[in-house]
Amino acid sequence: MAAPMELSCWGGDWGLPSLHPESLTVMAYAKFSGAPLRVNTINNSWRAPKGDLPVLVSEDTVISQPAKILNFLRKQKYNADYELSAKQGADTLAYVALLEEKLLPALLHTFWIEAENYCSVTKPWFASRIAFPLSLYLPGKMSREALNRILLTKGGPPLYSLTEVEAQIYRDAKECLNLLSKRLGTSQFFFGDMPTTLDAFVFGFLAPIYKVCFPRVQLQEHLKQLPNLCRFCDDILTCYFRLTVSGHSPAGQDTADANLQKLTQLVNKESNLIEKMDDNLRRSPQHPPRKLTTLKLAAGGEESSPMSRLSP
Amino acid sequence: AAEPWPENAALYQQLKEEQILLSDNASSLAVQAFLQMCNLPVRVICRANAEYMSPSGKVPFIHVGNQVVSELGPIVQFVKAKGHSLSDGLDEVQKAEMKAYMELVNNMLLTAELYLQWCDDVTVEEITHPRYGSPYPWPLNRILSYQKQWEVRRKMKAIGWAGKTLEQVLEDVDQCCHALSQRLGTQPYFFNKQPTELDALVFGHLFTILTTQLITDELSEKVKNYSNLTAFCRRIEQQYFEGHEKDSSATAARSSKRSLLR
Repeated sequence: MAAPMELSCWGGDWGLPSLHPESLTVMAYAKFSGAPLRVNTINNSWRAPKGDLPVLVSEDTVISQPAKILNFLRKQKYNADYELSAKQGADTLAYVALLEEKLLPALLHTFWIEAENYCSVTKPWFASRIAFPLSLYLPGKMSREALNRILLTKGGPPLYSLTEVEAQIYRDAKECLNLLSKRLGTSQFFFGDMPTTLDAFVFGFLAPIYKVCFPRVQLQEHLKQLPNLCRFCDDILTCYFRLTVSGHSPAGQDTADANLQKLTQLVNKESNLIEKMDDNLRRSPQHPPRKLTTLKLAAGGEESSPMSRLSP
Repeated sequence: AAEPWPENAALYQQLKEEQILLSDNASSLAVQAFLQMCNLPVRVICRANAEYMSPSGKVPFIHVGNQVVSELGPIVQFVKAKGHSLSDGLDEVQKAEMKAYMELVNNMLLTAELYLQWCDDVTVEEITHPRYGSPYPWPLNRILSYQKQWEVRRKMKAIGWAGKTLEQVLEDVDQCCHALSQRLGTQPYFFNKQPTELDALVFGHLFTILTTQLITDELSEKVKNYSNLTAFCRRIEQQYFEGHEKDSSATAARSSKRSLLR
């Protein structure tokens, strides 16, 4: 709680604080637990990203993977899970494993391997954030690593060609999204009213799929058919990332923001009842325009239309 | 697809005594437990080239009628198409949980077993290399094991486990067992009264870890810390494997090479 900790990670766009799922997970967790983090996004400077991002630097320790960063934050008493029972903690671990096995390959594919997406969106975006000579090399390297990972973990026989592997990983990802949607149901977060580690991970994986505008978007279209997951992402963006949703770089955050976030958390907790009553009103502006026509309907009509869109 | 389960269904794995490794034995035992729980008889046949016969390159695989299916996931679906399922009674949220826990076991326990077998130098030298190539003459045995080791190490590097030390891997195993133990609690099975494919999978891995002698006992000690998990394994062993002396590899696990469960 002494010196603020610094997090280096990829920046954001399209309304997200970061495009990189792991960076997003760490940022979300920091917001949920009230940890004062100074976020440095990688921009076009000579401080080249060394190794994997996100990286947390706290006094002398440098920690790099999201799981380890979260552990470190918990040890520093920034724990978003203290209200969870042991069984819920076990469930968290299981669902994170599910996300990594089933959803991550398709996410990597959409960002780094799908040719149209990679060439028109991902590569230019990342290249613009990295200093000159490295920008020619690093996005290609990240793409090759993603392809390697997918082929080694999913590409064994009898799936011999990349197209068959692709079909399989998208099937798995859609099933995973359906499972998450069923597990979330109608509650605000996965374990009741307060967000926890699992919410941070799910948000980290889902938000890029949801918000980034790619030419090839089969996963995003599937996600949009699951309104409770979309609402989940939007809620977290508006409640916890309100200061950065307008697209400012979050580099200016300091401890005052952390206090503001804590206050926001308390206010959220207490105003839950009011929020539930205002649910209809709150949900409507966040949905795509085609739903505006149902605004005028009675509450019953509004309820039934999202439900009927749930894919089996 | 609507044929009844034939009498001569067979499950293929590597040679029990000399060749099979920790991770393959765990997967094979999981499938055997699953089939026992569904009450579907199957003979266990041990062949040195089981890995190459398998359609996906992984053991075990089952040969039923004129179809060959490998690995627990596809086998569960195949058995379901024949009309037998253990998880029909679960609601949607429970099914999601079951899938999540199965991924946890695959992600952590199976990967830890693979790490221990192929990336820990002492174990590789003393146990894995001699066992893996044992049915073949020199130099084929060394070539095959080096090839497999290279493959597994590449995969470990891709998923980020290559940088882990043995202590970190054992920590992960401990975390996984802790989660499983918490989820099991005091119930007889993971979803209370009825066993499901999750119980079969967990049994396969934990029983194998507990009854296989490795260089050190650290891995089995991690599991032994959780008494409800050892009781769970004992219960499934007694219920599903006691009456089948001949072919069950669980019984063979009590033979000289491996330490006892009790």
